[in-house]
Amino acid sequence: MITRRRLLGATGALVVAAPLVRSQLGYADELTPSVHVRIDGRGRIIATVPKPDTGQGVRTMAAILIAEELAVEVADVTLEQAPGDTARFGPQTIQNSTSSRQLAQPLRTAAATARCLLVTAAANRWGVPPGECAARAGRVEHPGHRALPYRALVADAAKLDPATVAVTLIPPEKWRLIGRTRAGRSDARDIVTGRAKYGAESAPPGALIAVVARPKWIGAQVDTVDDAAALAVPGVVAVVRLVAPAGGQGGVAVVARSTAAALQGRAALTVTWTGGTPAADSRTWIADLEAALPPVTGKPDIQRIFRLPLLAHAAMEPMNATAHVTDTGVTVWAPTQDPGGLRTILSRQLALPESQITVHPTLAGGGFGRRIEPDPVFEALTCSRAVGAPVSVRWTRDDDTRHDSYRPMSVHRLGATLDASGLPVSRFHQVATWPLTVVPIFNNPMLVKASGDHFPYSVPGDVSVTLRLAPLRTGFWRAVYAGQFGYAEECFLSEIARRGGHDQVTARRTLLPADSRLRRVLDTASDHHGYADGAACHLDYGSAIAVLVTADPVARKVIRVTAAVDVGVPVHPSGVIAQVEGGVLDAVSTVLGAQITVREGAVVQSSFRDYAWARIGDCPEITVIVVPSDAPIGGLGELAYPPAAAAIASALAAGGDPVSGMPYGIGVG
Amino acid sequence: MSRYRLRVNGKRRTVDVPADTPLLWALREELGLTGPRYGCGVGACGACVSLIGGEAGRPCVVTVSESDKTDITTIEGLQDHPVQQAWLELDVAQCGYCQPGQIMTTVALLARHHDPTDAQIDEALRDNVCRCGTYPRIRAAVHRAAALARGRK
Repeated sequence: MITRRRLLGATGALVVAAPLVRSQLGYADELTPSVHVRIDGRGRIIATVPKPDTGQGVRTMAAILIAEELAVEVADVTLEQAPGDTARFGPQTIQNSTSSRQLAQPLRTAAATARCLLVTAAANRWGVPPGECAARAGRVEHPGHRALPYRALVADAAKLDPATVAVTLIPPEKWRLIGRTRAGRSDARDIVTGRAKYGAESAPPGALIAVVARPKWIGAQVDTVDDAAALAVPGVVAVVRLVAPAGGQGGVAVVARSTAAALQGRAALTVTWTGGTPAADSRTWIADLEAALPPVTGKPDIQRIFRLPLLAHAAMEPMNATAHVTDTGVTVWAPTQDPGGLRTILSRQLALPESQITVHPTLAGGGFGRRIEPDPVFEALTCSRAVGAPVSVRWTRDDDTRHDSYRPMSVHRLGATLDASGLPVSRFHQVATWPLTVVPIFNNPMLVKASGDHFPYSVPGDVSVTLRLAPLRTGFWRAVYAGQFGYAEECFLSEIARRGGHDQVTARRTLLPADSRLRRVLDTASDHHGYADGAACHLDYGSAIAVLVTADPVARKVIRVTAAVDVGVPVHPSGVIAQVEGGVLDAVSTVLGAQITVREGAVVQSSFRDYAWARIGDCPEITVIVVPSDAPIGGLGELAYPPAAAAIASALAAGGDPVSGMPYGIGVG
Repeated sequence: MSRYRLRVNGKRRTVDVPADTPLLWALREELGLTGPRYGCGVGACGACVSLIGGEAGRPCVVTVSESDKTDITTIEGLQDHPVQQAWLELDVAQCGYCQPGQIMTTVALLARHHDPTDAQIDEALRDNVCRCGTYPRIRAAVHRAAALARGRK
């Protein structure tokens, strides 16, 4: 259904909104995702991308979809980033691998509408039926007339009543770009020249810089502050007390004219802390979770326990946000995963109408789930209000590593009964873990189960979830609970197969329905990879993936990884492969050794020195095969991580100790 | 506060900051060269790597006084460099935040080794963290850049 979507700007630009973008027309009553495509009087095609880019490539995807439907090249589309505005742009959150699924149809429809209006305008001018005309390379063509560039048609097209124009999408068999383009990332040139603007580069001129003295131990609150020495540091402007939650996680902010001065000022503060859990220890936490598992009923033929650690997000760009509070409203510049939601939260928090709140999402140097949370924005707001100027709060790497919202620890007990051949015929999976404290709704075992439980094999059984009170902040981490549940399930299945003398791929083929997407990707991966000690499958977000791994257990090195993936429509092939490569590297990192531990109340790790993320030398040879599919467009950002982690651990365990947790072969907690 | 004379991207620049100011903040906040990114401040991640006296250096752990009268090249000082071309050809970046450091480290590597092996690449880029997982493309792009620099198109 196409509603009225014609808006004639003062410049004579043709503005086309996707259906249901009604707020500009004065009746905002829908929250359907949508974007605008604008063609200006010079024929320039400008797309407004509703969701921010954290590296997942949504901006490139938008450019491809719009270029396809407007019959131009990807580079012909100029990208603008939508401000936070859920009423206009629909859900803007980067979560649950939804970007392509939510945006593909509205973006294509918006661009196709523009194309059909331009074609009709040309047909009218020539006095021919629109069906005889075609859009190609930024022009409308007809066999009997000289082709007209879009810029010559914009004014006429803008005068048409869109309700009289039939809008058709370009059918898949005629796609030039979707799933076929060799174009790279739209922002690549800005990235390789250093011009790309992330949070810090997006702060307005004259913004002050703040760094925050953060709780010395988990849950600690500021008791006393002596800021005399800090205020004496040249360049320091103010010291501001932050109180959680509207002051973020709480602490003491030092606001200065430069980062160096702010850091020096912070070092000169004397703060005493109170409350919290100064004796907390993550070894105790993992033991408590294990003790919380329910008793086993019945007599499984095999059972195993898996212990999984805390993980930090550790995006390359540390958390930061800039805010300017004035008499007339609030402006925020932030690398956020949720500009629309942030605006709504701020509106509620500040008791201001959304019209007085502007949220500019910047490029984000990674997100991985962390940037859904608004705590750095609250810090910047509090500082800006206190000093009456724009303030940019910068987290150090130490802050970012030690004050994250971590992936929860979890303990999994899995059991199975086996048939004569040693394959499972029934199973159980008990999980003890924590909720996600940053989203109170997740304090619900059923929701945790829904997030984590995607067991794809034909083995009857169930998952039970026991939740304990989280002893520190926990949040969304790429793949969320599926990263834990899937890891335990696939590692368990691998050990069962190995003990029964089964090939990892054959065992899984036996347990998957014959005509399933997973069976197809598994066979594709196997045809390429050959024999593999590690294998795992994952079906989620409307997509399917199989990962096969060869490793050198003695050297603890991952040698070769093959992933076959069915995402329905791989809009940007290079980007699809990149997301899978990224999931594999997350898996290499977390299986080989990255984990967060807590001693004496505080996170031990403070940078990439001790949070052992993979380096280039740890990177295996990775082959990603995109399997053709008739399935609808699926999600991808989180798909590869759980099976890649399981397949890697299982490959490392070949011939050695069975997997008992993550990282492989290293104590957890 | 003292005045320091820096030679950045072929130009003489003066900054007036305390002697122990990390070069990174002078580049970013005094000179507006924001291509070198802040990633850790302790020399562990490589996001700020720039050429300091012709070598891959880490401006977050070098002070301004140590950089006085030293030639400094940031990512802004490259002009269609083969390394940048290779990075574009192979669509290396995801979020892109670490890439200026990866690129500058590679520029320094190729100055020493015109045709580096995988082992030399892994060694040179060992302390350049990429959190998105672009390592396989970085490795391929270093080889491609080396070929471009040697004149093979």
